Amino acid sequence: MTLAIAARGLKKVYKGNVAALDGVDLDVKAGDIFTLLGPNGAGKTTLMRILTTQFKPTSGEAHIFGLDVVREGADVRKVIGYVPQETSVWSDINGYENLLIYAKIYGLPSRSRKEVIYDMLESMGLRAAADQLVKTYSGGMIRKLEIACAMLIRPKILFLDEPTLGLDPSARIAVWEKLTSFKEEFGTTVFFSTHYMDEANAYSDEVAIINVGRMVTSGTAEELKHSLRGELIKFSLSDHRVDEHTLAQIRGLERVNSVVVTDSMLNVTVEDAEAALPGVMDVLRGGEIPVVRIATTKPTLDDVFLRYAGTTRRSGAASTTGRVEDEAGGNRRE
Amino acid sequence: MMELELRRLRNDRTEVYTRAVQPVLWLVVFGTVFSQIHAIPTSGIPYVDYITPGVMLQSVLFVAVLYGLTLVWERDTGILKKLLVAPASRYATVIGRSMSSGVRAIIQVVIIIPVALLLGVSFIPNPAYFAAALAILFVISGGFAALSIIVASLLKTRERFMGIGNALILPLFFASNALYPIALMPRAIQIVAVFNPLTYAVDAVRGLMITGNLALLPLDVAVIVLFDILMFAVASLNFRKIIE
Repeated sequence: MTLAIAARGLKKVYKGNVAALDGVDLDVKAGDIFTLLGPNGAGKTTLMRILTTQFKPTSGEAHIFGLDVVREGADVRKVIGYVPQETSVWSDINGYENLLIYAKIYGLPSRSRKEVIYDMLESMGLRAAADQLVKTYSGGMIRKLEIACAMLIRPKILFLDEPTLGLDPSARIAVWEKLTSFKEEFGTTVFFSTHYMDEANAYSDEVAIINVGRMVTSGTAEELKHSLRGELIKFSLSDHRVDEHTLAQIRGLERVNSVVVTDSMLNVTVEDAEAALPGVMDVLRGGEIPVVRIATTKPTLDDVFLRYAGTTRRSGAASTTGRVEDEAGGNRRE
Repeated sequence: MMELELRRLRNDRTEVYTRAVQPVLWLVVFGTVFSQIHAIPTSGIPYVDYITPGVMLQSVLFVAVLYGLTLVWERDTGILKKLLVAPASRYATVIGRSMSSGVRAIIQVVIIIPVALLLGVSFIPNPAYFAAALAILFVISGGFAALSIIVASLLKTRERFMGIGNALILPLFFASNALYPIALMPRAIQIVAVFNPLTYAVDAVRGLMITGNLALLPLDVAVIVLFDILMFAVASLNFRKIIE
C-alpha cells in the first residue's frame, strides 16, 4: 500500500543555524486524518511547508503518495491541497470570485467550472454568502471558503496548518464536519496541525507529537493516552487513617504503580482503573477501611501533550522518547 | 489573473481615481507651464502634446513598479503560499501576475486621455495606431511589474520595498525621453537613457499617438519584448524565494 506521506530523516536548518527540524520520520496512511501536535516553534509549520513543496529540506527525503517532494514537486502539487495558517483569500472580491480565480489557476475545465464551484459553496454552507465581499465574512466563513478553494481539485491529501485557530466552538465543529465528510466521501487524507487537544482526540485516526524539531511520539489517541499508564483512582475515606500494613498490601498488588495518602484521601495510580479496582477494594475491605466515595480519572490528550512536549529542553525531549517512567500522571490536571 | 484585477477594481474604484491625480497634475501644471516658456525644443509640436505619452508611461511605471507591493501583501497573508502550492507553473503565475498590472495601467491611461484632449493635445486619429500604442503600454507594464516582482522577492517586506520602489521609479522616469529629448541631457545620463527601456516605450507611443514618426518603431518593439522576456525569466526563477 502506498503511504500518503513517508518522510525519513527530514532536517531543516535556517540561516543562523537554527535547526527547525532535526531528523523527522513520519508515516501517514492514505485515507487517515492525521494530527500533528506540538508547542509553538516545534517545527509543525516547517514540516508542513516542506511536505507541500514550498521549500526544500536541508537533508532527508519525503514522499507524498510515492512522489518525491524535492524532485517531483510539480507532480506533488497536483495531488495536494493546502490551507496555510494565514488568511489566503482575497478580501476585496466575493466568495464566488475567489473560487473562480482559484479554479482558473488550477486549470479546471471551463464547462464544469461553475457547477463545481456552486457544489463546493453549497457543501460548505456558503451558497447564500457567495455574492458578498469576503471582507464581510466571519472568521469561520473565511476558513470554510479557504477549504473550499483547496478542495476544488479534489486533492488526495489536504494539508491544513492550524485550521481552526481563532474560531468559535460552533465554527470549529462545522469545519470538522466538512473535513470528516471529505474523508468519507472522497477518501481524502487530511493532515493538520493544531493546538486543540479535543480536536486531535475526537477527529483524528492518528496523532503525532513534535517537539524541538523531533517526533517524540505517535499513535492513535487511545494508544497515546494508554502509554502514560497513569489512570488514577481516588478513594475518599471517612476520617480513617490507613495503616502501613494495608498500604503495603495495596502497593504489592499487580497493576498498581503508586499509592499516595493525604488526610482522608487515598490516591492509587494504576494502568487500568477498571481492572485494578476490585483488587484494591478487597484489600481495603480486608483492612476494614470504610470508603465513602470512589472516583477514577483517565488521562486526557492534554496529559499526553504535557508529558511529551511539556518541556522545550532538547535533552528532556530526547530522553522521554518511547519511554514511560513510573511517576506518570505527575502532570495531571484535576 | 487579469480577471482578478478587474474584479477587484470593480469593487473598489477609489484607487483608480487617486492614482490618476498625479499624472493629471503633470499634464495640467507642468505641461502647460513649460508650453508657455518654450524652454524645451520639441521639433514643432506643443510641449503638452510632447509629454502626454511620457506622462502615460509614468503612470504605467508607477502602477507596475508598485505592483510588487501587492505581492508583499499577499506574502504576509497566506495567498502566495497557496499559489505556489497550486499545480500551475511558476512562469504562468509570474507572467499572469505581471500582465495583470497592465490591466490597471491601461485603465489609468484611459483616464489621462480625456484630460489631454481638454488641454488641446491633438492625437493622431487612427484607431490602429491607437490600439498599437495601448498594446505597447500594456506589454511594457508587464516588464516593469516583473522587475517589481524581482525586487519584492528579494526584499520581502513592505518597508524595504517602499524605499527601493521610489528609487527605481524616479531615475527610470527622469533618465528617459519622457519629459525632454535625450539630446538635451548630459552625456552620462544619455547613456542611462539609452539603456532605459522606458525610452523606447515613450518613443513608440509618441510616434503612434502624436508625431506619426515610426522610424524607430521596430527597434522600440524589439527592445520592449526583449526586456519583458528577460524580466519574466528572472522573476520566475526568483519567485519561490519570496516565501522563504
